[in-house]
Amino acid sequence: MKLYQEKNNYELLEIHPDVAPTEIRHAYKILFDLYQDESIATYSFFSEKERKEILSSLEKAYLTLIDPESRKLYDRDLVGLGGLEEERTYSNHKKNPSSIYDFKKTHVQGLVTIRDPEELKYRASQNPVIQNILDQDTITGRDVKKIRTELKITLEEIAEATKVRIEMLRIIEEDNQELFLPMVYMTGFLKSYVRYLQLDEVVILDGFIKYIDKGK
Amino acid sequence: MSQIWSIGGGKGGTGKSFIAGNLGILLAKEGYKTLLIDVDFGAANLHTIIGISKPERSISDFLNRRLATLDETVLPTPIPNLYLISGAMNNLDIANLTHQQKIKLLRNIARLSYDYILLDIGAGTSFNTIDYFMIADSGIFVTTPEPTSIENVYRFIRSAYFRKIHHVLKAHDFRTLADEAERQNGNATVSNPEILLHVIKELDPEKGDIVEKALRTLDFKLILNQVRKQDNPNIGELICKIIERHLALKMSFIGNLSFDDHVHNSVCKKLPFVDLYPYTRTALDLRECCKNHLSINKDKTSVQQYLTA
Repeated sequence: MKLYQEKNNYELLEIHPDVAPTEIRHAYKILFDLYQDESIATYSFFSEKERKEILSSLEKAYLTLIDPESRKLYDRDLVGLGGLEEERTYSNHKKNPSSIYDFKKTHVQGLVTIRDPEELKYRASQNPVIQNILDQDTITGRDVKKIRTELKITLEEIAEATKVRIEMLRIIEEDNQELFLPMVYMTGFLKSYVRYLQLDEVVILDGFIKYIDKGK
Repeated sequence: MSQIWSIGGGKGGTGKSFIAGNLGILLAKEGYKTLLIDVDFGAANLHTIIGISKPERSISDFLNRRLATLDETVLPTPIPNLYLISGAMNNLDIANLTHQQKIKLLRNIARLSYDYILLDIGAGTSFNTIDYFMIADSGIFVTTPEPTSIENVYRFIRSAYFRKIHHVLKAHDFRTLADEAERQNGNATVSNPEILLHVIKELDPEKGDIVEKALRTLDFKLILNQVRKQDNPNIGELICKIIERHLALKMSFIGNLSFDDHVHNSVCKKLPFVDLYPYTRTALDLRECCKNHLSINKDKTSVQQYLTA
């Protein structure tokens, strides 16, 4: 059994060392109500002197822990004295809010590669297959796919970077016109796709629209 | 071996006899063979609560040797499975038992064979009262959410705490240690038993361990009675928390009993409350408390420990 006077700030407030400031405030409020002068539950249990001592030690504990800087210092002292394990301190436990964009529908590990745009452009200009396609009058989805495979870029990577659903990209690549959304969307998707490959979007989109129009 | 519950709490008029009587009835109805013993000598009225207006025999017949065994003083009651030893006395001296009489009574209570024995303990914090309270496997405090009655509960618990330390240490050792504690801390020991225990542990770690172990066997319960709508329903929990935090005693909260004018009616009619008004809020609360207490309490035999210690 620990004497009341020997308790550390966390034990005084009956909280874990890794709780957030809101919980500290809540714990303090409850205990303050319990020990304050008007409290029925502690009536006659403490002398006036004891009550004041308890309230002031609670207040001190609260003020130390509610301020992030002094809490950090206090935690360090406590760890030094062996009263607290380092991993359990709040600063080691704190979780930052996660970005809402972390939620990825087609998330595959290791896809995010940083491409050098100049290098991509260079590789495309040196590739005869790609240049051939770009010189065509009409450009099909299959042609776009060919360019992509020539550049050795996976479809997942493009989906990841452009935030266009991979199914949509596949529909374009496979010229699966029955599944097309309205053209404005499809050209939009293709535009981001082409931009990512650092190709001339005007040329490819013109060719693509011509190809679609021809099919009608 | 019967399990003994004692119902006490310092202040008078908080409903100790009422709760003892009605818990007894509920236990009996559950099918347990239950015995109520009124040890509130001098102000006994448990018999009235369960609807016996003039008990034929009482505990004094045993203490004055008119009856040879405590068993013979047991009265049947209108409720099947429920028995009563009344504390109603015509002998005026009997309110203050001698030490020998008390020990004799305690030993004989421990020998009785029932499923549950409920002791209805009187008000006050005299050694006699506390000793009846402490032989129980489970000590139930009854208090109302009023400062006066809470004050008495704390006083009772502190007395019990000191009594236990006193009991474990011999009188002489206790005095020496208490003096030493007082010398170190001024007058604090009287109000703060925690410090007393600490000092004992420092002066004599071996004895300190024994005392601490003994204190840990104390197992208190709390029922908050006459709770009105405007009262804070969490007071019971808070009281238990204070006791556990500052006295390192085990204390569990059993439940609130709502204030109800029907209680007054049932006492005036001299009929058992849970029979007369079984569907009132308070009767439901009583059943809830009974259930809670049965589930919290495990089989223990502190009676033997107490008598052999």
